[in-house]
Amino acid sequence: MIVFRTFLKILKSCKAPIILYTVLLVFFAGFNMESNDSTSNFTAEKPDLLIVNHDESFGFTQHLIDYLEENTNVVTTLDNEDQINDALFYRNLNYVIYIPEHFREDFLNHKNPQIQVKSTGDYMGSLTEMMLSQYLRLADIYNTIFEDEDEMLEHLSKSLSNKTKVEVTSKLDTNQLSRIATYYNFLNYCILAGCVYVVCLILFSFKKDTIRKRTIVSSMNYKSYNRQLLFSNSLFVFVLWLFYVLLSFLLFGTSMVTLHGMFYILNSLVFSICALAIAFLIGNLIYNREVINGIVNVIALGSSFLCGAFVPIDFLPDFVLKIAHVLPSYWYIQTNESVKLIEEFDFLHLKPVYFNWLMLLIFFLLIIMITNVISNRMRKKEN
Amino acid sequence: MGKAVVSVKKLTKQYKNLKAIDNLSFDVFQGEILGLLGPNGSGKSTTINCILSLLNFSKGSIQIFGKEMDPSAYDLKREIGVVFQDVAVFDELTVFENIDYFCGLYISDKQTRRKYVEDAIHLVGLEEFQKFYPKQLSGGLLRRLNIACGVAHKPKLIILDEPTVAVDPQSRNNILDGIRFLRDQGSTVIYTTHYMEEVEILCDRVIILDRGKVIASGTIDELKKLAKLEEKVTVEVYDLDLKYIEEIKSFRNALEVSYHNGVLLVTYKKGKDNLVEIMEYLKKNKICYHKIFSERPTLNDVFLELTGKELRD
Repeated sequence: MIVFRTFLKILKSCKAPIILYTVLLVFFAGFNMESNDSTSNFTAEKPDLLIVNHDESFGFTQHLIDYLEENTNVVTTLDNEDQINDALFYRNLNYVIYIPEHFREDFLNHKNPQIQVKSTGDYMGSLTEMMLSQYLRLADIYNTIFEDEDEMLEHLSKSLSNKTKVEVTSKLDTNQLSRIATYYNFLNYCILAGCVYVVCLILFSFKKDTIRKRTIVSSMNYKSYNRQLLFSNSLFVFVLWLFYVLLSFLLFGTSMVTLHGMFYILNSLVFSICALAIAFLIGNLIYNREVINGIVNVIALGSSFLCGAFVPIDFLPDFVLKIAHVLPSYWYIQTNESVKLIEEFDFLHLKPVYFNWLMLLIFFLLIIMITNVISNRMRKKEN
Repeated sequence: MGKAVVSVKKLTKQYKNLKAIDNLSFDVFQGEILGLLGPNGSGKSTTINCILSLLNFSKGSIQIFGKEMDPSAYDLKREIGVVFQDVAVFDELTVFENIDYFCGLYISDKQTRRKYVEDAIHLVGLEEFQKFYPKQLSGGLLRRLNIACGVAHKPKLIILDEPTVAVDPQSRNNILDGIRFLRDQGSTVIYTTHYMEEVEILCDRVIILDRGKVIASGTIDELKKLAKLEEKVTVEVYDLDLKYIEEIKSFRNALEVSYHNGVLLVTYKKGKDNLVEIMEYLKKNKICYHKIFSERPTLNDVFLELTGKELRD
């Protein structure tokens, strides 16, 4: 096991970057501990609304105003258009409704009066828009059916009072699962950077032309030598993965002793194997020790940014996500995101996870094939 | 001559349009130091790489210790030690660890290996630098480490490919002493170089290669006998008239006379009293000279005569 022992000695010189990646991971995970995911409970929110009423009449117009007052926070302190526009810009106001003159009369006479609106266009603005549309649509229907205004308003009120009861039935601790997913997403960077940096550095030392020649002419079987090298690198990646898994147990405690935790762990193992293959491919391509750092940054940082390891996937533009499909990190992070939402661990719910693992396996096989082709070509070139 | 340790027969190595080795045959006998001499690109390193199965060859055969050499002949490889031209060590390991690693590729028993590593360190005189990293060593010490890594497993056949390139005189002497010691211990050595001085003081037998072919082989004396010139006389003399040069050219044994930058060089074929003859001539013609000395021809002179070019061209 001379190769393995020498591997360990060389590995000692790679301590610093591994510690750095770990510190970054712990810092990031610790920072994330404070974040909250509020998907476990439901609270209806009220948008801020300003009603500018130019219709002096009561009846239907007042009914509309009452309905909006009940479902929104009606703002009353704004006097002129400039103030209104500023309030919309600074999101102090979400929606403005301008009720025109003779609105009630025109509506009851089926003249289809137009209500002017201003909206921030965001979620709250859209919510108000929905409320208003729903009200006018129902009122229009009842106005067609009933001739009497009071009767129409009575039925309208009855219909609008039907509330949907929202009950969150999920028993998932989504806060904790989100934190674990973020940790394992960030692990994409740590594993990739750790693997590529260390494996490339060690392969570079062992495969340096002069040392390789000396090894080939020695009495050690070259296949056995390569096997020892593969074993050593694989063991390193396994230990690195195990270390990060243990760290997750330390950070998230018993949450890791669940099916969710197990799937996060399994996913990171599958990805680590893929990362090892990537590291071997790059290790076979580089001829200059100085470029290793640059390659680590391009590969690990680049794929982490593109695939959503540092920022939530929802925030990434579509074209970035399309590019990310060609990177193993994307499928790894997608799995973490899927696991976070799984309620039942049956085949149907786990299908996306299995599909992502299949993709990682395909990547692994593809990378191994490319590495072999490159190695063979280089060997032929030497002769 | 002893038993042939290495036997190369009709070896040819072709790179597309270039014949790097052309029908090369030679034997290396047990207990000798064989010098492979030749200018850059003459095929020395290619020959070594073929012997070690690092390169495929187009034609011919190579036998080591009577067995056919091939990439999987691990029993043969156990008996071979190689020191390449470029230093092959791990920057991350100390001197001791480096030698231990390369010795470990041959010797698995830890205790035997420790003894062998210590012997190798002693052989190249690196006792004080055992815990040093390669980056902390000078060029000469690094070369010594390179040699120790190649010979630590006590091989019977040692191949050294230009091990003294860019080495200071002290380290060079140490390396050459070490090689002689290994030969005295019973090892057979193949030594490639383009430093003819090293060959003259070290090698029992020399093969001169040029363009992948053997152009001469034999002991140093045998090679020198191949040359027509026997003696070179150098005279430092200023303002020598052309008529004197012409008269010297007509000396009985003179082969060639040249005069450049105040140095008169006269080469002689076999004959006696050449130095006395020229000294008397200078005295008779009252020609004042500063220095005069006579030399035997070097291997470089032999090489120059055989190939028409300098060894270091």
